[in-house]
Amino acid sequence: MKILVIEDEKELAQNIADYLETENYLCEFAATYTQALEKINLYHYDCILLDLMLPGGNGLQLLQAIKEQNRQDGIIIISAKNAIEDKVSGLKLGADDYLAKPFHLPELSARIYSLIRRKQFNNTNIIEQKELQIDVLAKTVKVNDEVVTLTRKEFDLLLFFIGNKNRVVSKSALAEYLSGDIADMLDNHDFIYAHIKNLKKKLADAGCGNYLKTIYGSGYKWEL
Amino acid sequence: MWKLFENHIRLWLQMGIMSKLLNKPLRAFTLYALIILILSIPAYYWVVDTIWLNELDVHNKTVEGHIKDGFKKNNLSSNQITEAINVWSQIQPGVKIRQVQPFEVKKDSVYEVIRPNKYANEVGERFRGRSTYFYIQGKPYHLLVETNVEETHETVIAIAVVTILFFSLLVIGFILLNRKISTQIWRPFKNTLNQLKSFDLNSQKPIKLAVSDIEEFEELNQVLTKLIDNNIAVYNQQKQFTENASHELQTPLALLKSKIDLLLQDKNLNKKQLELITTLNTPLARVSRINKNLLLLAKIENHQYSDEQIIHLNKVLNENIEILSDYAANKQVSIENLIKETIMINGNKHLLEIMLTNLLVNAIKHNIENGMIGINYQAPVFSIYNSATNSLNKDTLFKRFISASSQSPNNGLGLSIVKEICNRYNWTINYTFTNNQHHFSITFQ
Repeated sequence: MKILVIEDEKELAQNIADYLETENYLCEFAATYTQALEKINLYHYDCILLDLMLPGGNGLQLLQAIKEQNRQDGIIIISAKNAIEDKVSGLKLGADDYLAKPFHLPELSARIYSLIRRKQFNNTNIIEQKELQIDVLAKTVKVNDEVVTLTRKEFDLLLFFIGNKNRVVSKSALAEYLSGDIADMLDNHDFIYAHIKNLKKKLADAGCGNYLKTIYGSGYKWEL
Repeated sequence: MWKLFENHIRLWLQMGIMSKLLNKPLRAFTLYALIILILSIPAYYWVVDTIWLNELDVHNKTVEGHIKDGFKKNNLSSNQITEAINVWSQIQPGVKIRQVQPFEVKKDSVYEVIRPNKYANEVGERFRGRSTYFYIQGKPYHLLVETNVEETHETVIAIAVVTILFFSLLVIGFILLNRKISTQIWRPFKNTLNQLKSFDLNSQKPIKLAVSDIEEFEELNQVLTKLIDNNIAVYNQQKQFTENASHELQTPLALLKSKIDLLLQDKNLNKKQLELITTLNTPLARVSRINKNLLLLAKIENHQYSDEQIIHLNKVLNENIEILSDYAANKQVSIENLIKETIMINGNKHLLEIMLTNLLVNAIKHNIENGMIGINYQAPVFSIYNSATNSLNKDTLFKRFISASSQSPNNGLGLSIVKEICNRYNWTINYTFTNNQHHFSITFQ
């Protein structure tokens, strides 16, 4: 899978690449408007991460250029501006998602994962992992062909873990994923314990292997 | 009761002391005119009286000369003279002639006397007289010529009456002129004043002061325009600064956050180190929230989020409650939404969401164990209340970065934002502490 990271902050771009590496994503970089335009014109990507404030031009113009070529590359805007107008106009121009800086890398990874899957499997988006079967569109989970009933938050958490497979995800990243922008207003994130406990129990009860590991002191990991 | 009375007196005194600018010179002019006119009364009297007396002295002298000449020209006998003098003295009241002894002869003199006048029916009539001695056929005679003069008090009264009349005319004239001048000349000043009153630094609308042909006002207008332009520029700079600073901070914050996420993947770290790294997320989240809130405040002040729509408040509220439900449950706080009617509010959806979120998060955060939160609406007042132990400080409640609670620190921006959003839509927000509950109520208008 090829991902283009259009981001002028080189270190952040590198961090993103390092985090995504384990998922067999291949990251390429563009730090300026012209560099980005060159890469876009030459290659196709499964996903493009697009910063809006770039040296030499606005990321929205770049987005327009991509869309004019009638391409299928998934696009996620990553912006420090966090302006509602930018989000609205970005999505209107054809971006698939919008993520405001600062974000947790697991959040980005989960979104890339779900975006790529959405692009690849339009109608039958079913994730299969050993005895586990997740229908992303119907929002149902089966273990050994037996339906497991999950709450919406439990289902979302499961998808989040799958999108961050084999990587440690912190409590803080999980809270932000569940509560969105509000998360950093809350004085503790202990409320996610209950959801994780329930999710673990339901999967175990249905006969699913214990893939969701608690990493003491840091968070959780979906290990395969 | 006494205090109320005292306040009334003070207000009344202040009103008395406060006066229009033009009334000050008017008062001074009037006082000055009064003093001058009062001083003019004795001056006029002195002038009139002196002229009058001079004239009468000349008159008396003329009469005297006439009489003396008459006696000289007509060669009368001694008896005839005595006869004539007798008759004369009886008929002509103003002139007295009598024969005197030679030792009685004195120098000529002028005098004044006050005596009753039975013809004019007056008790004290003033007379100006001339006393002189002359000789007829070698015998000395004393001649007295007297003429009636206007009395002092009559003259003074007449002058005073005229003076008062003129003074009244003067004062009336002053008042009328003053009124005319104050409406005409001060018009540009009043225009400027009205413009200044309507000026709002937040609205960024520069004021246009009308050109005046009066030098002072024109100068004032120019200085004011410059001052206001400067203020707007400084204000904009300051707002821009906050916005830029927050933007600039987003990138290093993003870097920090991603580094922590990456660090957690390191398999060589021991539990203690991992724990330490994870705790970094808490202060980082706080910094990032403060930064977001500052940016948000700057944006609200900059009049962004201008698009408005009719918002279904219940829906937004329920979404918020749903998001926060597990957080509240974890803190063992129950949320009771008592709103039954549908509330439609005109405003920006994003801002309304933020307002409700901040109120809700605060209510959960500053609650007690097994506490509760109630939400209610009685048109047009929306209220949210929660169990608590101590009242918040009303004075600092909505101030930026000042925690109103003595119990817990926070970044103190949540309520400032709520207040700012309320200000923007002219909603009023109130806080009370009753029955161990924080009550926040917002009146939608």
